[in-house]
Amino acid sequence: MSSIQITNVTKKFGDFTAVSNLSLDIQEGEFVALLGPSGCGKTTTMNMIAGLEEPTDGSILFDGQDLSGVKIQDRNIGFVFQNYAIFTHLSVYKNLSYGLEVKKVEKSEIERRVRAMADRMSISHRLDQPASSLSVNEMQKLAIGRSAIVEPRIFLLDEPLSNLDAGFRAYMRAELKVLQHEFGQTMIYVTHDQIEAMSLADKIAIINEGKLMQYGSPLDIYNNPNNRFVANFVGSPRMNLIDGELREERGSLKLMVHGGAEIPLSGQVRSHFNTDGRVHSGSFGIRPQDIYFGARRAEDDIEMHGVVEVLERVGPKRLAYLQVLETMFLAIDDQDQLSVGDEVPFYLPPAKSLAFDLASGRRLGGIN
Amino acid sequence: MTDTKISTPVTAASESREKGYWARVAQDGQKMGFWFVLPALLLLLFIVVFPLLMQLYLSITWWTPLEGIAWYRAWEVFNWGENYWFLLTDSRLWGALWRTVIIMAVAVPIQFFLGMSLAYLFIDKFPGRKIFYSIMLTPMMIVPAVVGLMFFLLFQGTGPVNDHLGLPAEFSWLTDVNRAMISVIIADIWQWTPLMFLILLAGMLGVPSDQLLAARLLGGSNWQNFIKIVLPRMKTVIAIALVLRSVECFKIFDLIFIMTKGGPGVQTETISLFLYKQTFGELEWAYVAAIGLTILFVLSVIAAKGLSYMAKKNG
Repeated sequence: MSSIQITNVTKKFGDFTAVSNLSLDIQEGEFVALLGPSGCGKTTTMNMIAGLEEPTDGSILFDGQDLSGVKIQDRNIGFVFQNYAIFTHLSVYKNLSYGLEVKKVEKSEIERRVRAMADRMSISHRLDQPASSLSVNEMQKLAIGRSAIVEPRIFLLDEPLSNLDAGFRAYMRAELKVLQHEFGQTMIYVTHDQIEAMSLADKIAIINEGKLMQYGSPLDIYNNPNNRFVANFVGSPRMNLIDGELREERGSLKLMVHGGAEIPLSGQVRSHFNTDGRVHSGSFGIRPQDIYFGARRAEDDIEMHGVVEVLERVGPKRLAYLQVLETMFLAIDDQDQLSVGDEVPFYLPPAKSLAFDLASGRRLGGIN
Repeated sequence: MTDTKISTPVTAASESREKGYWARVAQDGQKMGFWFVLPALLLLLFIVVFPLLMQLYLSITWWTPLEGIAWYRAWEVFNWGENYWFLLTDSRLWGALWRTVIIMAVAVPIQFFLGMSLAYLFIDKFPGRKIFYSIMLTPMMIVPAVVGLMFFLLFQGTGPVNDHLGLPAEFSWLTDVNRAMISVIIADIWQWTPLMFLILLAGMLGVPSDQLLAARLLGGSNWQNFIKIVLPRMKTVIAIALVLRSVECFKIFDLIFIMTKGGPGVQTETISLFLYKQTFGELEWAYVAAIGLTILFVLSVIAAKGLSYMAKKNG
């Protein structure tokens, strides 16, 4: 078990910068997810941690110790590949014992540990069979078991759940969490699935275009996104992000949206946007579940009027798509009170609304 | 076809009996098929079975082209299969066979070892890899006779090899009892290591790279991973490469024909060279026929055994 300090790491492939000046501090025993769209540099970051790629610049320390120059086979890093990389020509037993055999561990000790690990991963009944005969789900377990058996200092998982069917993915998500507690391992988990990251990780590092966007606990990231990208990326259903021009008219500040819709800004969100006229175009963000219908609940809640375009059932609730001129707001109708075609008023509480600078994507104003 | 099935068999049969043989053939798919295939069958019989029978016939006579009689009258010099008896005790034949096996047993393992090592160097990308790759493959593209000529010139007493090693012109390679064989083997290794390299590299590249990476991450050294992951996965390719080269080596001819003509004496005479000399030098056609049939028989037995062994192994 190790802590990892990544400091100002940059990785270039020719002219292309895959990772740019990235710093992360991962504590011992933490479960950290590297989250981002495909091609954002998260896998490159993971490969650099594993030692498969050398950083162009910056340092990666394990417990304060620099491992650059140490061979991959001597780093003692557990790595679960996206496609598992099971040794299909060997038996399940031989797959599990590989890491111990190459270290010349005593035979009886290998046997004991392999059986224990197979029991733990519930693949004991498959031990003597060829690994190629396993189902995808069992291969996943074998891949994790094979890495865990050598007790690595850290555990890296590269999109390990992406090949699984939906049911088993949910089961494996819970299982991974349990395993992480059992092994007490520092785990780094690469994924593009924000739900996976939110449900599994102690901390999430959101990466976009090679840059770290935000690093924090799932709740922190969800409630206080640093910038427009994070706000847009995290949360399901997605946050409403309405881009427009800021205009001051007769003492009131409005966000003028392309197509004619306008949001009269008030309360906290108004003061966030009101940065002495330095920001001309902004992005207004609010999560669908914070929009409400019916009676106004607070004096400064922003009132809008929209037409219900589509209602989409998600479990007991419905997602409502509200059209305001050319702008679409996504809200949640949890009491089945709307019907398609209705023109309804809806409210945006300023305290739950976020303000972003459109040009830089930066969050405006303090934390709500 | 459905029509004939619908009509009752009794009436169909009686009708066709009235119509004669060809009408019956027209209604029977299998019979018709036989007549269509027959010409091809006869042609095949003529080009495969006829020469084989001719060979068998000649192999039990004393007949040679100098006999003064046509080959089909060879029964006049019938010898009760004495050729077969003679080949069992022909030391020159057995010597040639032995030398062929020696070349195979020395050259093929060396080619395999070199090819494998080179392939291992070529799995990772490095600058100039493509150019080296092309250069590596050149020897096997050259006509063997030309390779023979090249090495014939290289190994001359006053040639570059001696020059380079600082050996006197009297130090002969191609006319020395022991070194002639070494020269031939070196030439064969030079020419055919690239093929081994090519096949083995293809096999090696077929080993999934993420499995190799996984093995390294699990702490396996390069050597351990090679033995436990790469080699087992290359089993089939290795078998193909070894069989291919062994068979080719068994047939080695042009290289030796140019370099030493089988000499000095019979020191580098292989089975192919021996057969060539018997055929065109001694004109012992009947004897050559007997040897050819014997080799065919022995190889057929080995191939059948090998096939049934493989079938058993694969379940």
